Amino acid sequence: MTHLLFILPRATVYAVLGVISISTVSGCSNPAPAERNAPEFNTVTADDANEDIGTYILPQDTAILYEPNAEEIFYGKRLLNETKRLLPEHVGAQMNCNSCHISQGKVPLGDPYINSYNTYPRVMPRAGKEIDLEARINGCFQRSMNGKPLDRESPEMQAMMAYMKWLSQNTPKEHKVDIKNAGAVDTSLTPDPIRGEQIYQAQCATCHGDNGEGLKDSRGDIVFPPLWGDESFNIGAGMARTYKAAAFIKYNMPMGIQTKGLWGHGNVLSDQDAVDVAHFFTHQPRPDFAGKVNDWPSGKKPKDARY
Amino acid sequence: MKNKKWPLIILIVGIIGLVIAFIIGQLLPNMRTSTSNIEVDITDPALIKKGAYIARTADCVACHTTLDGETYAGGLPMLTPLGAIYSTNITPDKDTGIGNYSFDDFKNAVKHGVRRDNKALYPAMPYPSYQLMPDEDVAAMYAFFMSDVKPVQQANLKNELPPVANWRWPLAYWQVLFDRKREFVPETDDALLTRGQYLIEGPGHCGSCHTSRGIGFQEVALSNADSNKYLSGAVIDGWRAKSIRGEHRGLGTWTVAELNDFFKTGRTDTTAAFGAMAEVVEHSTQYMTDDDINAMSSYLKTLSPAPNKEETLPNKADTTTQKLLDGNYDSRGATLYAEYCQVCHRADGQGVARIFPALDGNSAVYSKNADSVLQITLSGGRMPKTPYDRMAFTMPEFSNLSDADVAEVVNYVRNSWTNQAPKIDVNDVVKMRAFLAKKPKTSTDIAPDLSIDAAEKGANQ
Repeated sequence: MTHLLFILPRATVYAVLGVISISTVSGCSNPAPAERNAPEFNTVTADDANEDIGTYILPQDTAILYEPNAEEIFYGKRLLNETKRLLPEHVGAQMNCNSCHISQGKVPLGDPYINSYNTYPRVMPRAGKEIDLEARINGCFQRSMNGKPLDRESPEMQAMMAYMKWLSQNTPKEHKVDIKNAGAVDTSLTPDPIRGEQIYQAQCATCHGDNGEGLKDSRGDIVFPPLWGDESFNIGAGMARTYKAAAFIKYNMPMGIQTKGLWGHGNVLSDQDAVDVAHFFTHQPRPDFAGKVNDWPSGKKPKDARY
Repeated sequence: MKNKKWPLIILIVGIIGLVIAFIIGQLLPNMRTSTSNIEVDITDPALIKKGAYIARTADCVACHTTLDGETYAGGLPMLTPLGAIYSTNITPDKDTGIGNYSFDDFKNAVKHGVRRDNKALYPAMPYPSYQLMPDEDVAAMYAFFMSDVKPVQQANLKNELPPVANWRWPLAYWQVLFDRKREFVPETDDALLTRGQYLIEGPGHCGSCHTSRGIGFQEVALSNADSNKYLSGAVIDGWRAKSIRGEHRGLGTWTVAELNDFFKTGRTDTTAAFGAMAEVVEHSTQYMTDDDINAMSSYLKTLSPAPNKEETLPNKADTTTQKLLDGNYDSRGATLYAEYCQVCHRADGQGVARIFPALDGNSAVYSKNADSVLQITLSGGRMPKTPYDRMAFTMPEFSNLSDADVAEVVNYVRNSWTNQAPKIDVNDVVKMRAFLAKKPKTSTDIAPDLSIDAAEKGANQ
């Protein structure tokens, strides 16, 4: 072996390899830093959904700092994210607003707040009358969060309103961002609760618990809300309705299972899968809702209403 | 006058030298190969089973299979700075695979990096590690590959190295310099630690990723006895394969039990395997026996701190959690964290056990080199799938963020809570984004198939 090394000394080999490696490292210049690739949506008028009249650019929270009421907007955002921890007197369930409003209400089909500021007041069939945004938010506090309404003039309510106003990005009142709040699911499908339970155990229970009890973080704050039981949403919540829940699940659940999307969420279940699993968990025991007697005063109750 | 002749003389000497080097390069591989007297009964079920296990410990499938390709049919590119080298078809197909390999051919390729036609293999194949494997184990693998692997007719892809670099004969010199013949030398007479050391150094070829490489792309140490640079961390495929020696940023904060859990299930209560290590767990370590896993973990925990690295980092109090809980976003990184990361990784950076990895106190996060954090932030990735947890979770890509913001949020997570790590700048993000644009996707780069149909077909088993 030594005679070989004499013919081709080590130093020579190192030198050759060195030249090769240096020549590969140099000589390539880097491109300019990438700017944020913000999601963009068309804006349309309320009467003619086909007429594109502008572009809505989804804002990043860092832009809040440029607003005169930045502190209020940030407070609103935090209240929506951590409703249970920050407003325990008003939240009965282990729920936050953003347990259902994906990624701070910024994702189409994930119950976004993008159009909320401009959509209300509007006539809601469930209430049978015109409801403004404060009343709509309080509806969530009483139903989805099984708690008590906020004072309409309270700083907390005003802060949440401020966040939603900021998120509307000054879209004119009579305009609307061309997105859907919820996706479609075939409401003619008949649910199979047995299959629903199997799907629940395979794809939901890791986070929401084998008994629907949800999961808290190491500080005791809720991460995955309970889907049934005393600490879940009550029967007055939209999420207690099979087909509404199915539409949510299909496009938004589970989270953390895709490489795309802000929560890496959704799009693994078929319509039938979603309807089956939604029927299973919506029909588990959950708190009653006293105000149910006033719902759908003019009839037309949807077929999946729980009362 | 005299001087004019010199260039000619140099040229002639150079050419003669090259010719001699070429001829010797052709002959060198013959000095590495050997014939053995082992008769391998490739139909022996016990031997095949043993070979299947050994092939798992050597993780052959990881490199010799592509994302959508047939098992062991090769075709996976290894991106070298000079161009791609493709892994080869090692199914027993007679035309395109290793169907015509005798046991000696197989052994010489696996242990000595010399293929059947006596040409040297690229050291992308970890034969410097595999040469520690006893011939009996290689014989078992041979029985497995010949009898239990489905033959696949798939021609090997041509390497994309430029001329000169694609000559194979210089590799023979690489082998002379960097892969001398050696035997496995146990560090202790403890049976458990010896087994662990053997698995780590030999079939496990941990050093291929976790040991840095020298000027000839050789691992700077092939064993702990060589130097304490062995397994002290390196960068490969845009991942920081962290130091797995004893210092704080290495495995200093890990227990044997945590390592066992990690090798078996790909997660612990606070962390999860991601990137290339997720594939190692998915394809290799989850199949290993509890005894073998415990041996590896126990051996790793005997390794001293790597040279020139802090044995322990200074204590640092967590002021981050309270600020996030109070909405006191005192940096752009904090605002970004609250918007994009906090929902899963939480205000206290502890994540959720076995679902979302902790960022605080996670040695993959605060390693000196930020490449792993950068890559997973830009491209996402998933945990390994094993039977021990019902679901394998995925981190989504945050490639829509600006490069400047990615730098901000990466610096934030690496220096919040009790974490402390060097800062990166926007150019590091630019480089990683450019690198990722060229990098081929591997199975743990993409989301799992969670559809109910897939589950019924056993895709999650």
